[in-house]
Amino acid sequence: MVLRVGVDACSERSVSLVSVPVANIRNFCIVAHIDHGKSTLADRMLQLTELVDPRLMRAQYLDKMDIERERGITIKAQTARLPYKPLGDVGETYLLNLIDTPGHVDFSYEVSRALNACEGAVLLVDAAQGMEAQTIANLYLALEADLEIIPVLNKIDLPSARPDDIAREIASIIGGKPEDVLRISAKTGEGVGAVLDAVVDRVPAPTGAADAPARALIFDSQYDSYRGTVVHFRVFDGELKPGDKIRFLATGHETVIDDLAVFAPEETPIGSLGVGEVGMLSAAIKEVGLAKVGDTITRATKDARNVPALPGYREPLPMVFSGLYPIDSDDFSSLRDALEKLRLNDAAFTFEPETSMALGFGFRCGFLGLLHLEIVSERIDREFGIELVATAPSVRYRVTLDQPPDPETNERPIAWVSNPQDLPESNRIASIAEPTVKAMMLLPSAYVGAVMQLCERRRGTLLAMDYLSEERVELRYQLPLAAIITDFFDLLKSISRGYASLDYEVGAYVEAPLVKVDVLLNGEPVDAFSAIVHRDEAYNFGRSMVDKLRELIPRQLFDVPIQAAVGAKIIARETVKAKRKDVLAKCYGGDVSRKRKLLEKQKEGKKRMKSVGSVEVPPEAFVSALRTPTVKND
Amino acid sequence: MLAAGYLPTNNAWLDSPVESGMQAGFGVYVHVPFCVHRCGYCDFATEAVANPADANDLFDRYVTALTSELTALATGAIDPRLGVTRWPKITSVFVGGGTPTILPPQQLADVIGHVCAVFDVTEGCEITVECNPETASAPLFDALFAAGVNRVSFGAQSFTPSVLATLERRHTAGSVPTAVALARQSGITDISVDLLYGTPGETDNDFRHSLERAIALGVTHVSAYALTVHENTPFGRQVATGVLPAPDPDVQRDRFELAQAVLGAAGFEAYELSNFARGPAYRSAHNTLYWRHGNYLGAGVGAHSHVNGHRWWATRSTPGYLQAWENASLDAVPFTNWPGRSGYEALDVDERALERLMLGLRVAEGIHPHDLPPLSPDALEEAMRLGLVETACGRVRSTSEGWFLLDEAVRVLFV
Repeated sequence: MVLRVGVDACSERSVSLVSVPVANIRNFCIVAHIDHGKSTLADRMLQLTELVDPRLMRAQYLDKMDIERERGITIKAQTARLPYKPLGDVGETYLLNLIDTPGHVDFSYEVSRALNACEGAVLLVDAAQGMEAQTIANLYLALEADLEIIPVLNKIDLPSARPDDIAREIASIIGGKPEDVLRISAKTGEGVGAVLDAVVDRVPAPTGAADAPARALIFDSQYDSYRGTVVHFRVFDGELKPGDKIRFLATGHETVIDDLAVFAPEETPIGSLGVGEVGMLSAAIKEVGLAKVGDTITRATKDARNVPALPGYREPLPMVFSGLYPIDSDDFSSLRDALEKLRLNDAAFTFEPETSMALGFGFRCGFLGLLHLEIVSERIDREFGIELVATAPSVRYRVTLDQPPDPETNERPIAWVSNPQDLPESNRIASIAEPTVKAMMLLPSAYVGAVMQLCERRRGTLLAMDYLSEERVELRYQLPLAAIITDFFDLLKSISRGYASLDYEVGAYVEAPLVKVDVLLNGEPVDAFSAIVHRDEAYNFGRSMVDKLRELIPRQLFDVPIQAAVGAKIIARETVKAKRKDVLAKCYGGDVSRKRKLLEKQKEGKKRMKSVGSVEVPPEAFVSALRTPTVKND
Repeated sequence: MLAAGYLPTNNAWLDSPVESGMQAGFGVYVHVPFCVHRCGYCDFATEAVANPADANDLFDRYVTALTSELTALATGAIDPRLGVTRWPKITSVFVGGGTPTILPPQQLADVIGHVCAVFDVTEGCEITVECNPETASAPLFDALFAAGVNRVSFGAQSFTPSVLATLERRHTAGSVPTAVALARQSGITDISVDLLYGTPGETDNDFRHSLERAIALGVTHVSAYALTVHENTPFGRQVATGVLPAPDPDVQRDRFELAQAVLGAAGFEAYELSNFARGPAYRSAHNTLYWRHGNYLGAGVGAHSHVNGHRWWATRSTPGYLQAWENASLDAVPFTNWPGRSGYEALDVDERALERLMLGLRVAEGIHPHDLPPLSPDALEEAMRLGLVETACGRVRSTSEGWFLLDEAVRVLFV
């Protein structure tokens, strides 16, 4: 017999839907770095509150997407409603809402919204590894949101654990005493009860006006092909019920709630949700773009017309751009369908059709960051079976044109360029500015020199350097976004033997001497290979592209020059010599079938070739040339 | 521009060819898989027999199976799908391996005698036996000559000891002239020598030396092949792991040109990509049959047969082949369930056209206009523009520049 939790009304476990007074609600999240045990702790909490049948338990219950489980990261937040009776309290039941947060720098805005739905945060730190930059960044977000922080050391059972050192480190960052840091092992379950008790004791109960017009904060929205967008929210004021007509303030979209549910931890219908409660609703919302993260839900009634929005809403802003092209040009319309479907579930990514001479028809897509790009392309491949070529990631440049200023504003016209192809001729450009980020890196002090060198090479400007302890340093740099979206993180990890961590937030646009490097095959520029780079990096970029392409372009019937150029100036050149042999030397009775099949296969391959001028380029060459970072560091 | 006559629009190229397909003759191939050692580059169906003197039982069983198959092929009912009511007269017989001459001479001679007995063989039919130089002897060639063998092909491969060592060949360069002399003494005057070029470690001079030694032997035919490394061979694995450098295609192209220059100067015509004859009369009739997309029956391990667009082939496993024929009922061997068969394919018109093209362009004269499969005028134009093929007296043939790029020509032509 399989016991379905919370769904079978007859099940004794449906007590989880018993409601409690607002004073007994605790909304909290877990702030942690990847691998520090957040999901294990969440699983353990579910078990401790006896919400999940052990037989249904799978590792990392709350991470539902395959990609997430594989990468051990959370992209979409999940929540769980946990009824809990602290050991000390007799008869008193508390409702703990655990709001899971996305775990990657690309999604820091989503993190901040999830944090705003909480009153408290468990700061979970690996007792062997210590704080990481991302944890600190999210901790700062939590402090900004005025959350009660409960510091917890995990993995104290590891032989390499240094709980005393790490506890001191935590105390030095958040204040308080090292002894106040709870010590647990999510793996064995040791100390997890104390964490729940601390949540009950220290996290404030929600406050809000039960009789005011309803206001709820969307902290996540996901697309479901049967119900449309499923909106995850936290009620601040008033109450929401199925059948209520609601409005989303930012988009103005109005609809009627079909279903209201909580996660216990499986989705379980509920009749109403009031102040402080966390749940989800579906309301036949066609795409997630109508119910965006950070938006406020109100009732669409007259008295609610002037209800102010909850603070902090922001339009998602794509930061990284890439052209996505189907390898097989017949897949173009399937790719458009796939992007539209993904867009239903991902309001943060943008796409518009574009054409490349080399790659044919495709889409210029905008993403929050590199991981976001990777996830989208991987889903297109995995869920829709479309093979892609993705052009090198680019940022959006602000190009000031060399034209007379507008008489009214006294400013010169601006062009925004996210595709190197679109960069105007250099004589039409007055200046180019690029987006920068404020990067924060945490690393052992032994690696400070190497990391600073890396940042200098990447045109970084040192903003601050703080010793958190004798061994740990916090470095802050302003860096061009373009300089960190390729291989910066990998290099940082490799020069610090994996110990450095990175987080960043979007900074200002800064002018820089940027040039466009073109790559020419047989004298023809290949638009897909063009890149906007710093003048000082142009040669290295051009040289590495040319070297790489010399290996990737198959020999043709004629010599193929490969050149890199800035404007009319050739900065690097290689030649793929004409092929001189393409035949099977011996062909007798037994070889005929085999040879014919080989030729048929090659013929198919020939059809897939992208033709640049008269050069046939296999799509794999584009994939390989564009995949790996091209700026040399040595 | 091309005359319309270049571009046939019906299937006459298949149904009533002038020199290709059924007009090219009819051959029998007999495979003897045994070798003392399997060389590192070899991807033929072979079976290593360390000590032939101890292998008489195995040889007997194999020859018995082979004889059964040849009998069944020659005398059994012909499947109507093959489009033949009775086998045409045999115009060529080829005994290849492995090392056919590993068999005791009389046993090998008897196999050939059996072919001639069960099939209707034309007057002057070319009968070739592949021979490794180290197996040559007067009794061998006497027996073969008596059985009707009129051509011997020696696997010399190289006259440079270090190259022979790399190739794992067991004979010495000096054994080849002796072998050739022995064959001549027995009355076999049509003699071919096989050479391989582009072996890792071989120099231009090594290959020139090999060509000159072959010419000096006064042979009537030379085959010179670029070494091909197949994946599933020891060489393939050594190249994959970097133990052995892969043959350099540019070096092979240079040697290809060297072979044409040196052999051409000695009076050999390059009548096929890798084959040279002292004159038209000395071309290999049997191999020409393959390149003319002709019909042939194969017997033995791994042997292929092709009749009018139907192709089938036997297992590459000697034990499997023996077992199949030893358990077969020989009264009426069914074509559809032929003992030891491992594959069969019926080719469609496009596949046959591709084969006609890829085989026919190997031959110097190319393809007769009447025998040419339909080509897209644009594709032909393009292949000519690229300098890969040319037309002469209506025939389409590889250019001298395009000969070594023939696969590219076929891919361009066969849109």
